[in-house]
Amino acid sequence: MAMTLGALRASIVRARTAAWLGWQVEANWADPVLFAIYVLARPLATALILALMFRAVSGHGADAGVFVGFYVANAFHAYVNTVLVGMGWVVFEEREEYETLKYVYASPVGMFTYLAGRSLVKFALATVSVLVTLAVGWWLLGVRWDWAAVQWLPLAASLTAGLASTLFFGFLLAGWSLVLARAAMVALEGTALASYLLCGVIFPVDLLPRPLQAVSLSLPFTWWYEALRRFLAGQGGDSAARGSGLMHGFTDSQVLLGLGAMTIVFALLARWGYFAFERRARALGRLDQTTLF
Amino acid sequence: MSGMGASPARTRNTGPRLFLQAMAARAYVRIMGSLREPTWIVSDAVFPNLGMCAFVLLYRALDAPRSYEALALVGGVLTTYWINVVWGMGAQLYWEKQSGQLQLYFAAPCSRMAILSGMAVGGLAATMLRSLVGVALAVWVFRIEVAPFSPWALAGVFVLTMVALYAMGMMLASLFLLYGREAWHTANALQEPVYFLSGLYFPIRSLGALGVVAAGVLPLTLGTDAIRQVLLGPAARGLLPLPLEALALAGFGVVFLWLASLSLAHLETLAKREGRLTQRWQ
Repeated sequence: MAMTLGALRASIVRARTAAWLGWQVEANWADPVLFAIYVLARPLATALILALMFRAVSGHGADAGVFVGFYVANAFHAYVNTVLVGMGWVVFEEREEYETLKYVYASPVGMFTYLAGRSLVKFALATVSVLVTLAVGWWLLGVRWDWAAVQWLPLAASLTAGLASTLFFGFLLAGWSLVLARAAMVALEGTALASYLLCGVIFPVDLLPRPLQAVSLSLPFTWWYEALRRFLAGQGGDSAARGSGLMHGFTDSQVLLGLGAMTIVFALLARWGYFAFERRARALGRLDQTTLF
Repeated sequence: MSGMGASPARTRNTGPRLFLQAMAARAYVRIMGSLREPTWIVSDAVFPNLGMCAFVLLYRALDAPRSYEALALVGGVLTTYWINVVWGMGAQLYWEKQSGQLQLYFAAPCSRMAILSGMAVGGLAATMLRSLVGVALAVWVFRIEVAPFSPWALAGVFVLTMVALYAMGMMLASLFLLYGREAWHTANALQEPVYFLSGLYFPIRSLGALGVVAAGVLPLTLGTDAIRQVLLGPAARGLLPLPLEALALAGFGVVFLWLASLSLAHLETLAKREGRLTQRWQ
């Protein structure tokens, strides 16, 4: 027991050190103003695009309640873009740009703990991005919801599960990046963009072709965004007018259950997948293989 | 005996001839290079369209008239070109510095403008092929309907837009020379904010006064609006009359080409003086 506690304490210390290092890496390339603009510019610009799209068609009977849900999901997608994809970028940068990946492996920190530590900074940055996007929506764009209708307990549960899914999926992507050499950059960029489409961030997934709907339902983020829409914004992704979407058939409890189930599946898959990829990367000699520069 | 040591008469490559040869050589490398990296073909041809599809489906989810989907599809196809301008032109000299090739450009006897022009022509040719994926999606998957239009007007507006865009890219390339790691992040930051300011997914008119300001700075804003006006007619909800936009785009092209040559000459001197041409990761 004492050994387990000691090991846990050591892991936390190592993760904290990796988080500190992550902050130094993330923040040292620019002055704080430019850094803030960079961290906020992209998500805010996407939010503004959505708001202008809605404003352009609001005179044609577009459902404002549905749009609020899409806006909220889009704000939370910052976690996927920053944390999930960012963990893959950690591998890419450490190996290709700084050529330090082999030293991380040679150090007592351990890659898994190191990645967890680096993800903490990305979580913090994504949280800032989410809060600013929601605040801009609330105060500047009129994207508002009824606080009295917020279902706090399911919301807290879905937030926990969604963030856990992000972290687990991030490990899987980082493992995949270990195996891929030059192609990792394209794979990471592709994952960020594909997730925006496949998880139905800004539209109901029943608008996707049927084979893609099955893929969409197998991803935890699809359930997470639907849960956020229902428990925070008060309305799912299917408009009241349509009333027959794919998600419309699921009750709130089923959405929460789906999210929980997918999170567990992805946690197991990520743990197995990360170490399988890592073994493969070692066998292929990819840990210190640089190809770009 | 006298004929054995004599070399055949050569035409010296100087002036416009050298410029064109250097341009063609750089364009060839750009086109062939882009075809030899399959993952880049996927990333350039497919990725920009994923975002475009999501935005089109948002209009569908909001029960918007079909003309809005067409509007977003035209904007989405143009993102392919903007991405190429930012990453393939703006950040290119930064990439060359990272791979240790930049000094070769400066040691070459040709004009740096010729190299940049070649990059622009090659990049445009390669991107035109890739943007066909977006066009195919628009026609066969989303089945957009366009108004009857003149192919000559479309070609004219497209060429003016591309000249202005790639001339801007040439100017950005010289500016990025002075940047170090910030070049990467600046290129990243020039994506979504420019999509917003260019009204790629909504009528530019919706931006109000900001749209007019953006149209005065970004050729992508005017180009998008002009191409939409040709293809969609009144459904494009255009910002300015088409002839005026064409004239402004031509002006953009001239001004950006002039600025590119000016800034390249200035920044080349500055970069050499400060010794940044061969510095990596600074």
